[in-house]
Amino acid sequence: MTKDDVLPGHLQELRRGTAVMASLAALREPGYGYALLQTLGDAGIAVDANTLYPLLRRLEEQKLLTAEWDTTASRPRKIYRTGPEGERVLAAMLADLDALRASVNRLTEGNAS
Amino acid sequence: MTTTQTNTLTDRYVHATTRWMSEEKRDDISRELTATIDDMIAGRVEAGEDPAEAERDVLTELGDPSALAAQYGNQPLHLIGPRYFLLWRRLTLLGLIWIPATVGVIVALAQLASTDDPASVIGHGIGTAFEVAVQVVFWTTLAFAILERVDVDAKIPGWSIDRLPEVPRRQQIGLADMIAGVFFTGLVIAVLVLQHFRSWVEGPSGDDVPVLDPDLWSFWLPLLIGVLVVSMVFEVVKFRIGRFTWPVVAGTILISLAWAVPFIYLAANDMLLSPEFVQALDITPTVLDRINLGTVLVTIAVEVGTVIDAVVKNRKATRAPGA
Repeated sequence: MTKDDVLPGHLQELRRGTAVMASLAALREPGYGYALLQTLGDAGIAVDANTLYPLLRRLEEQKLLTAEWDTTASRPRKIYRTGPEGERVLAAMLADLDALRASVNRLTEGNAS
Repeated sequence: MTTTQTNTLTDRYVHATTRWMSEEKRDDISRELTATIDDMIAGRVEAGEDPAEAERDVLTELGDPSALAAQYGNQPLHLIGPRYFLLWRRLTLLGLIWIPATVGVIVALAQLASTDDPASVIGHGIGTAFEVAVQVVFWTTLAFAILERVDVDAKIPGWSIDRLPEVPRRQQIGLADMIAGVFFTGLVIAVLVLQHFRSWVEGPSGDDVPVLDPDLWSFWLPLLIGVLVVSMVFEVVKFRIGRFTWPVVAGTILISLAWAVPFIYLAANDMLLSPEFVQALDITPTVLDRINLGTVLVTIAVEVGTVIDAVVKNRKATRAPGA
């Protein structure tokens, strides 16, 4: 009973921050907001639309993403792309995630033996 | 208001989200948000949903425009966040402890110069203290709410190990005791003041008659209220000391005497109740005597009880080892 109550909160806490990483990774291939929302959803990283769009803008302001308007399509869209600074941040975050995963592995294996 | 006809829900949603943004931001975000909403609607329509319904669903999914705008602007959705909350609380409480009481006393003293109606003096003091308390809370909160929203490093000194409080010796007088004591004493003061204006007993003229003799305001009631104020302060002192030490017991006895002696004197000489009040309720002399006698006995019982309680607790405090 209690487990069901607390688990969603802990999972949410665990996933916080993955949206940034996933966006930076996915946008090596340039894309616009809605397409990214679907890409992330298909990849199993569900992000709310009202979180993702402001996030993209924030990452642009932080110069991690570059953006330009594409007016050739039927409706104008803002196309985002991961910039060099974004690549560096992404690499650092991925390294951190790996290190974390390795640490957790050591702990869980240590417990098992 | 015919213009609503030409505005789509999307237009209204985008407007609601962006209307407080700076101009350059607004245009860019409006265009992008509109395109994105169109994309989302198109996605739903492709999946077979009715266009009008798709628009409603998409906008519902995006949620309150104010919340979205806050996300875009990086604005907090709280008045005072964890960064400043503890400091806000400390300063507000500190301000509430000192400023209203100080100003209230000053105003009461100033009032004393212009009028000799003690009820008006006390009423003015308490009223001003309350107004000042509201102002203290309002302005500190406003200052911190602004601080929360401007992007400056306020260089606020953090917590340090030196601020750790001493572990209190085993508390005999807890916070609840103090609050109850102060509250109850305040209540008695309020009753003493209010009975003058509102007794719910009508005199011959149809106005409320005071319960206590108005002549007492010239000396006795201010004295009794003064004793009560001292006893309120004493409650706080007791709490700070935390235990029934001998000085605390002595203070308790002194305050009990300071209250009981004048009060019993007044009751015993039938100076307490106002003659109009007695008349309005048709109290016979015999009954009046019994009321006065009862008042004397109850006062003695309460004060003796208070003193015995203090002495017993003092013996417990001095016997308990390591306390």
